[in-house]
Amino acid sequence: MKWLALIAVIATGSLLIYAVSDFPDWGSASSPANGGVEGAGRSVSQTFIEETDTLTHVPNIVTAVLADYRGYDTMFETVVILAAGMAIFAILRVLRDTEKPVDQSKHDPSIDGDHQRIIIGTTCRLLIPVIQLFALYVVAHGHHSPGGGFQGGVILGASFILLGLATDLETAIARFSEKQFIGLACVGIFIYAGFGVLGQFYGRGFLDYGALQPIFMTDGEPMARSHAMLGVEVGVAFTVTAIMFAIYANLASKGELKNGL
Amino acid sequence: MIDQFPVIIVLSPMFGALLVGLFGARNHSVCFPVAIGALTISLIGAVVTAKRVFTTGPVDYFLGGWDAGKIVEGVEIPLGFGIQLRVDHLNALLLVVIAIAVLLVSIFAIRRQSEQDTEKTHYFYALFLMLSTGLFGMTITADAFNLFVLVEVSSLTSYGLIAMGSSPRGTHAAFNYVIMGTVGASFYLLGVGYLYMKTGTLNMIAIHDILHMNNEVGNAIFDSRSITVAFILILIGMWIKMAFFPLHGWLPNAYSYCPSSTSCVLAPLMTKVSVYVMIRMMVTVFGLDWVFQHFDWSNVVVWLAVIAILAGSAFALAQNQLKKMLCYLIVAEVGYMVGGAWVADSGRWGLTGSLYHILADALMTLCLFLTAGILTRRAGVKNLTDLDGMFKKMPLTMTGFIVGALGMIGVPPTCGFFSKFYLIRGGIDSGHWEFVVALLISSLVNAVLFFRIFEIAFFGKKPAEGHGHHHDEDDTAADAIVPTEPGLRSLAPLWITAALIVALGLMNGSVVEFIRQTPGLILESPVKAN
Repeated sequence: MKWLALIAVIATGSLLIYAVSDFPDWGSASSPANGGVEGAGRSVSQTFIEETDTLTHVPNIVTAVLADYRGYDTMFETVVILAAGMAIFAILRVLRDTEKPVDQSKHDPSIDGDHQRIIIGTTCRLLIPVIQLFALYVVAHGHHSPGGGFQGGVILGASFILLGLATDLETAIARFSEKQFIGLACVGIFIYAGFGVLGQFYGRGFLDYGALQPIFMTDGEPMARSHAMLGVEVGVAFTVTAIMFAIYANLASKGELKNGL
Repeated sequence: MIDQFPVIIVLSPMFGALLVGLFGARNHSVCFPVAIGALTISLIGAVVTAKRVFTTGPVDYFLGGWDAGKIVEGVEIPLGFGIQLRVDHLNALLLVVIAIAVLLVSIFAIRRQSEQDTEKTHYFYALFLMLSTGLFGMTITADAFNLFVLVEVSSLTSYGLIAMGSSPRGTHAAFNYVIMGTVGASFYLLGVGYLYMKTGTLNMIAIHDILHMNNEVGNAIFDSRSITVAFILILIGMWIKMAFFPLHGWLPNAYSYCPSSTSCVLAPLMTKVSVYVMIRMMVTVFGLDWVFQHFDWSNVVVWLAVIAILAGSAFALAQNQLKKMLCYLIVAEVGYMVGGAWVADSGRWGLTGSLYHILADALMTLCLFLTAGILTRRAGVKNLTDLDGMFKKMPLTMTGFIVGALGMIGVPPTCGFFSKFYLIRGGIDSGHWEFVVALLISSLVNAVLFFRIFEIAFFGKKPAEGHGHHHDEDDTAADAIVPTEPGLRSLAPLWITAALIVALGLMNGSVVEFIRQTPGLILESPVKAN
């Protein structure tokens, strides 16, 4: 088996090296991915770079590509995250009541337990609000700077994970319960897809944010696109936050959502 | 409204999954009506869209209002700016078959799932509906990267569904599948990356247009090594996903140790959709002239397919367990489809037969796995010998099984006969006699396999009376349950599938004529947008 693996690796490696010889120049502005193919008309990436401001009024082109031009992909990326969360629930979650003795050692105030709790507790009390505020900033500023729903959602989810790690899972779940995070995960995609379906109600295509102009009451369709992008980013952030914490909670407690690490 | 149907096919199960996720935990009785409703909408959408394709030709749907050629704010939108969905003669019927299969399995699954693992019903339905979304999305999309995203949706949900069963072997098999599936998806993604690097677009039709540009730049890309490597990577990625013979290792255990409602949806659809993706890549993205004249690995791949067919059949012969045997038959059937797609006869009969076989095999596999699911639960059947005298005990179920089995063997009124007919015609026209021989041998093996089952089930190896008594403590699985016919919720899906197998066979002429109108399949003219 080892030899077979070696042969497979060598074959794949030589295949990749074989292709290197006709790669376009590194970072070249005239490579197909940047400047398009000669004679094939204006390329997609050129249009992205030159016209994004006209089309969506969004300074960050990456956000425009991610949330608008290829918003359908991003919606399904969010569905992938929800699917991962659901799969982990389906596999790990223990829903039958198992009467296991509660592990006392974790709650045992040992000699320096209280001191630790003061230090950790104080640090968390100081850190978590800042982390959460920063997460909201990252979500809201996806338009103008690097960031967006995925990144902001991960940071927000991390703040809950930190709470769970620093205290115990019950404390974290008391603030963000199972019902809440499953609901939030689904609502996130509902928000995203909802913006798409609204476009359909106006007789346009799915995810056509321009159709939402009457709802946002903006001057033109580009600004409506910009607003809708913020909306879908919020939806993504909801799902990512919820699933991040859900995965942690399930893995840390073997699906019982009790005790934990 | 009718314009929106292509996207509604994909969205409806997704919204169903969200509703199940939101309300399913509190009240499990929500799950079943939501699933049936969502999948029925998809089926209606698929049928209406297929009818549109039949009357007016390929249907395009651009997401986000970024239609190619449209002027937005004074800017002309190029092809590939947004994501495009496309229903044409290649995938219209596959969409209908997927919709029928998932709807039937969701009806079949309702009681089975609730009895196995009552409190997780809503997770099952949420994952099942998301899996349906993934399969529809993979089939309908005309964007190479979007296809990858939906491969991820369908793979992740299927890993979860397989691991949901309580058996540890199922979990182990799911883990193997996670590794293999991820490797396959990564190969595909790498291939798409190479394509993007050389063409600067992800839209399948735009890639085809750039590859076939009739000038110096176009010819350079057409001949480029990176494009060849991209094709090989995509091909290997999809071969892993479809369990093509040397890469099939994950399939038999994953599909035989998972809950039966899961195997009923995965076995017929996952591999077939991967075969469809391979053919879509060959026909629409690279173009058949590139694949058969420039790349020209026809002989190699057909030989691989021959090995796959023979190996799959041989392994199937060696199995004692019913589900394992069916799984190895899938491996052999994948060999049929890959071989048919690659025989490269000028009339494209091999490719036609392969496309027709995707539809036929999806229905036949569904039929056999539905029967296996019913038999496992109602009669505790695991090994072939457990089928002893089953015709007397469960005649209604076994009737459905006969239709599926005859289809696999290739007996005339069923669709299995006609798909083999077209595949063999392709093999003969192209001079690939080894493929013809392999097909015939495999049909013989199938005949041996299924007539062995008929013999056991019809005449019984042992006297049926003696077996019914609880004299053997070890044989609990087979004896503990007294075989009785299942309810209509299990039988109706089985019979509908059996009827469809015959119907698809009888309509083979018009179906094949429809498939052969696919742009780029027979005519050498390039596929043009709109």
